[in-house]
Amino acid sequence: MLLNIIKKIYSSNKKIPRFPEKSNKKEIEIKSQKIYTNLEQTISTFKELYSFPINNDVNFRTFDIRSLNKKAAIILIDTIADMKIVNEFVLEPLLNNSNPTGKVEELLSIQAISKVSIIQHAVDEINKGSAVLFIDSFDYALSISVSNIHNRGVTSSENEIVLKGPKEAFTEESSINLSLIRRRIKNENLVAESVPISLRTHNVLYLVYIKDLANEQLLNNIKNRVKALKVDSIQNLPLLEQHIEERKLSLFPTILYTERPDRASSYVEDGYIVILMDNSPDCLILPATFWSFFHISEDHYLRFIYGNFTRALRMLAIFITLFTSAIYVGITTFHSEMIPPDLLLAISATREKVPLPATIEVLLMELAFGLIREGGLRVPSSIGPTIGIVGALILGQAAVQANLVSPIVVIVVALGGVCSFLVPDISMNFAIRLSRYCFIIASGLFGFFGMTVFFTMGLFYMVSLKSFGVPYLSPMTPKYTSSKDTLFRRLLKNEIFRPGYLKPKDMKKN
Amino acid sequence: MQESKGKIGIREFIAIIILSTGTKLSDDTPTLLFKEMASAAWMAPIIIGVITFIPIYLIIRILSAYKNKNLAEVIFHLLGKFFGFILIFILLLIIFSALVVDSAVYTNIITSMYFSKTPTIAIYALLMIVCVYGAKKGIEHIGSVAWAMTFWIKISFIISLVLTFFHGQLDFLFPILGNGQWELLKGSILKSSIFADFLYLGFIFPFVKSKLDFKKGIWISFSFIIIEFSLALAAYTLLFDYIGVRLMNFPYHETIRYIEAGFLENIETFFYPFWLVASFIRFTFYLYLTAIIFGSLFKIKKYEYLLPTLATLIIFIGLIPESPTFVIFNLREKLLHFATPFFLILPLLLWLIAKLKGDLNNEKSKPFY
Repeated sequence: MLLNIIKKIYSSNKKIPRFPEKSNKKEIEIKSQKIYTNLEQTISTFKELYSFPINNDVNFRTFDIRSLNKKAAIILIDTIADMKIVNEFVLEPLLNNSNPTGKVEELLSIQAISKVSIIQHAVDEINKGSAVLFIDSFDYALSISVSNIHNRGVTSSENEIVLKGPKEAFTEESSINLSLIRRRIKNENLVAESVPISLRTHNVLYLVYIKDLANEQLLNNIKNRVKALKVDSIQNLPLLEQHIEERKLSLFPTILYTERPDRASSYVEDGYIVILMDNSPDCLILPATFWSFFHISEDHYLRFIYGNFTRALRMLAIFITLFTSAIYVGITTFHSEMIPPDLLLAISATREKVPLPATIEVLLMELAFGLIREGGLRVPSSIGPTIGIVGALILGQAAVQANLVSPIVVIVVALGGVCSFLVPDISMNFAIRLSRYCFIIASGLFGFFGMTVFFTMGLFYMVSLKSFGVPYLSPMTPKYTSSKDTLFRRLLKNEIFRPGYLKPKDMKKN
Repeated sequence: MQESKGKIGIREFIAIIILSTGTKLSDDTPTLLFKEMASAAWMAPIIIGVITFIPIYLIIRILSAYKNKNLAEVIFHLLGKFFGFILIFILLLIIFSALVVDSAVYTNIITSMYFSKTPTIAIYALLMIVCVYGAKKGIEHIGSVAWAMTFWIKISFIISLVLTFFHGQLDFLFPILGNGQWELLKGSILKSSIFADFLYLGFIFPFVKSKLDFKKGIWISFSFIIIEFSLALAAYTLLFDYIGVRLMNFPYHETIRYIEAGFLENIETFFYPFWLVASFIRFTFYLYLTAIIFGSLFKIKKYEYLLPTLATLIIFIGLIPESPTFVIFNLREKLLHFATPFFLILPLLLWLIAKLKGDLNNEKSKPFY
């Protein structure tokens, strides 16, 4: 079974079996043609493309433009277009104006109008929410931007909470997200380059960077990787992240994911590249190092000493999460001589009635904690407290009273579990929690020796990781010029360099 | 961004040397020194440092004259194919036997001090798995890991030293010259191959970013190791007296078991994992060196693929001695004595030939390090 799983992981779908597929060739051909001058033909073509009567929200409206004395039609999807604007600024002027003029554009009192001359482009515009105006005997159509896609407003950040500093978070609309970044960086060199990525759904992403800071080579590397994607659809950034990362099976994340515009803009200002996308209330920051997963934006908003105090706490929490359970297993199984006799007696007294070996006992409790945590995440908020009570009382208290686990194990596991919440980034959080299981197993097999073996191998693995060419533990090792914001941060007046591993065009911050 | 070129900077270089050579103070090397020099053992590293200064200086001098050539290529260039082959083969044998013997010692430390029930082969195999994994990642990553851990390893070591000095008695240092100055000198010369690692560093010369980094790195770490070694030996003497240390095979581990800090009585837990990481890095580096020398001797370009084979060989040879605590201890002493003349004479020989060939002339104006 294990072999099968491994095979599954490593085999990519290179051999594609033949499916009885229906060819789309005819429609593709139609779409690549120029717009017909015959309006009737155009309308029937579009009705066919949009499978008209079945497709409920596609709207075809034909009418006469009196001033031109021609027939015309407007095609739009009424769920994503603003019908009010269409009526007021498009239909009314066209219907009511009887003065003969040569140009239709002059009749429309709307700013964003563009010409399209190929059917495919007209279809793209309609899909985006524009209204497309076709006029008889014209060999082009007019796309009028009236899109009104529903989205929620800017709300405060829910997953990256800070007490001091800006509260707002990205939302699902990329133009709003972009405006949130532009509001922070008022500079003409801030570029938001749009890159189309998917073949079927035509998703677009925005590469946001500062032109005179970001390294060209890095930018081209990212662009090439994004353009090389041959995927039908990429709905949002978490999916994109998995498409463009280098080591897809790696335990550690190599792309930073955040929902805070202030964080994104501070990275952009350092020469990083940020990816925004529609439908994603977040952004991707590349390249990322281990330290960017370890930091949160509040570290810099708090005063120097307080900020570093939280950093110290977080580092301690990571160590506790990784090692407490494993150390407990190691001590009780192999190294009982290492702890003071009093503590040893206390531990052995509580373990006296427990029938399970320490490793199994700890793994059992870790698993229970993992289950409660995952369950608590998915539970509807109205019955949330129940889970808490069940988790805490039944799994903790009752398991101890039933002599299934010893009270010390509950403390050890709970401590590790609570500390794991101090790791701010969700991907890093998973990485650390999964390594904790590995440490427990290593410790159960070989005590501290096994733990150190696993730790050293993990360290070797971590230093060999790269995110878009940037070593994972830089600037610590290998060394680069930087503001030395790694484990602890410096005074703001001393953080004067942009990270050297990015090779920004301007190293010094003023 | 910047594609790495597989080179290490001065910090990583120093970290590798400090960890790979400095860890010797925690195995049975101190006992070897105490055997002949008694209470004056702590002076041995300093004397050895003075003796080995010249060979190390010459090695740096020779290597600097040939840009981007490692020691093997230099030896081939200077001695010709036949003699070069023999010499490098001997060097390979020495480092390979050192690797076998030392890894057997470390496995023995782990099994006898901490895991008396676990089968030796399991511990040995795990040790070698880490080393192969690390060595396969290459010198750059060995350096990075070494640098990332050096600070913490040395902090833990310094704490153990300070605690030892608190527990020790100053009287144990006397008689200050131990068995007499001649014994001291003789012992030091015989054991000077303790620092033979510095000769082998020549094989990674092209991997260090610049010539200056290589020179500086060697001298900084050389002085650091001498001081560290002396302090450690002095600390063992203060704590156990030289008679006591002679009886122990692994004084460092006895020390961390003996010392206590306030209400904490058994604090070896705080030192043991750091010592383990240091020894992993040490053997990773040795294994990598062995593979490089093997590769340049037999013209194998992708020497990384040799690592698993070498490691397997090491395990099986290292497991042969029946009672490692005694057999390997003696083997190690013999090996040290055997390696010493090579270490002291080889650089001189190479330097003379290079001088005669006239390759060193362009180096005269360079500053002295």
